[in-house]
Amino acid sequence: MAMMIPYGQRITPDDRTTTSRGLMRPRPGGRALRVAVATVLALWFALPLVPLLLWAVANRWSFPAPLPTAWGVDGLVTALEQGAAPAFGRSLLLGLAVAAIATPLGALAARALTRGIVPAPRLVSALLLAPLALPAFVAVMGLTVLLLRARVPATLAVLLLLVAAALPYTVYTMRVAYAAHDLAYEEEARTLGASRLAVLVRVHLPLVAPGLARAAFLAFLVGWSDYVVTVLVGGGSLVTLPLLVGSYAAGVGNEAIVAVLSLGAIVPPLVLLLALGRFGRRYPTARFTGPTPSRSPKGSP
Amino acid sequence: MLTTPLPGADARARQRASRERWVGLAMVAPALAVAGVVVVGGIGMSVVQSVGLLPLVGEARFTLDAYVANGDELLTGLALSLGIATASTLLSSVIGLAAAVIITQGRITGRLVAGLSAVTIPVPHLVGAAAVGLLVADSGLLPRWFGVEPGAWPDLVGGPWWVAVVLEYTWKESAFIALVVAGVLATRVARYDETAALLGASRARRLRHIVIPLATPAVIVSAIIVFVYTFGSYEVAWLLGRPYPEPLPVLAFRLFNSITLTSRPEAAAVAVITTVVSLLAVAVGMALLRRTPLWR
Repeated sequence: MAMMIPYGQRITPDDRTTTSRGLMRPRPGGRALRVAVATVLALWFALPLVPLLLWAVANRWSFPAPLPTAWGVDGLVTALEQGAAPAFGRSLLLGLAVAAIATPLGALAARALTRGIVPAPRLVSALLLAPLALPAFVAVMGLTVLLLRARVPATLAVLLLLVAAALPYTVYTMRVAYAAHDLAYEEEARTLGASRLAVLVRVHLPLVAPGLARAAFLAFLVGWSDYVVTVLVGGGSLVTLPLLVGSYAAGVGNEAIVAVLSLGAIVPPLVLLLALGRFGRRYPTARFTGPTPSRSPKGSP
Repeated sequence: MLTTPLPGADARARQRASRERWVGLAMVAPALAVAGVVVVGGIGMSVVQSVGLLPLVGEARFTLDAYVANGDELLTGLALSLGIATASTLLSSVIGLAAAVIITQGRITGRLVAGLSAVTIPVPHLVGAAAVGLLVADSGLLPRWFGVEPGAWPDLVGGPWWVAVVLEYTWKESAFIALVVAGVLATRVARYDETAALLGASRARRLRHIVIPLATPAVIVSAIIVFVYTFGSYEVAWLLGRPYPEPLPVLAFRLFNSITLTSRPEAAAVAVITTVVSLLAVAVGMALLRRTPLWR
């Protein structure tokens, strides 16, 4: 059973296929029901973001008013004064560092696992997926004693814990990518005289690039959105964007600042997501090819 | 024609296989080391601390005091965490499955729902909590739009039923389940659905006999992930919950940061109990998964 996390890919069918399926064409009753359900779902997903958008541009919004009573960017100004920019930078660095470490580690492990050259493959994949089943705070509370005694710097400890948390995603995404990857291309290139390095750079990596991009995006998200690990291990020395959001959201009367910081935490992943979608279209191998079944890795996801 | 292998080919093949195993081991070693240290080390050291073998000061002595010290809070916290995780998992599975079906039906509505759920996923949980707070608190957007006085608005944030917490989890995780299940439906189910339609199955029957059975394994796998996450997650319950009773992660957090010397082992005890329940939940989920006819 293979499951993809279909990021940056179109999963709705093409217009061409849907209109040509005469049998599947909706009838008026079913159509009305579908539109109604879709509207409710669209509202469900969009509604929580509305107060963020409104509060971010509200200087004053006294209670019963349905819309801000004074518009403006005071929230943004205060947020910048309170160190939003450096926190944003630290979050970005943390996310990129987690992605830069967890993606190659996951890709290496996934390649070995899909080639079937790993001893005790079930145990190994279970261990690599185990961070998903372990609450983050447990790992932190257990390991802080060790890390403190070994004098590991807080930032490094945060990085270690977040890389472990990101590994299940990168390993799994890359397993799906390698399962659809044909080793024959690499063998062909070797036969034709390409060096190992040339095969890696010009054949292997370009073929799995969309998978790598997806894996890196998920790993980035782990570092970017973490709160618990940074707060517990960093102990307030590493102030990231989520930490600022947390401290302002816990107080009263900071709605505008919270909204601005929150939007700041949502926008970068969205930009990456869009970039990922464009990237996926440029490399047609990454696309969902509609109803054709893809080869998939066996075993637990 | 040469059909018999050359002498020594067998030995060479064996040698090559053993070399490949070493290469394989070397390739998984870095990832395995990181995951192993964090998982085995995290659980192991939590257990060691919780039974008093690693005190901050004083003599190491085996004791189960840490598990008994907060007995009542542990039990209420366990019940509360189980309740929140169960409610969030069930609701997000139902909403996520519905969204996945709509998404794979295609057309404009499907694309709209796909786009909005994709926007929801990268939102950090803490930001989601802040957003849900601004939406449903008694001074939030909904009471403003519906013209309800703060006194008449139910206690959704910090109330006795933890509604805002469950809402936030359900919002985020239903998007996650929708995307995972839609991926499976798009690649695997489309053909069967078409075949059944060709054979004259009605829309309702196709949903009942094709789409839902084929989506079940994906729903179960993602529901396991959602349950374990919501059971062991701290920040949402901390921000949108009430001070007492505390879910297990919030309780562990408070004990961990407390200045009393005995509280570190007590926090570790809460962590151990959370881990045991999480692992049990995974085991139950995997057992359910094996009983679905499509699982290989």
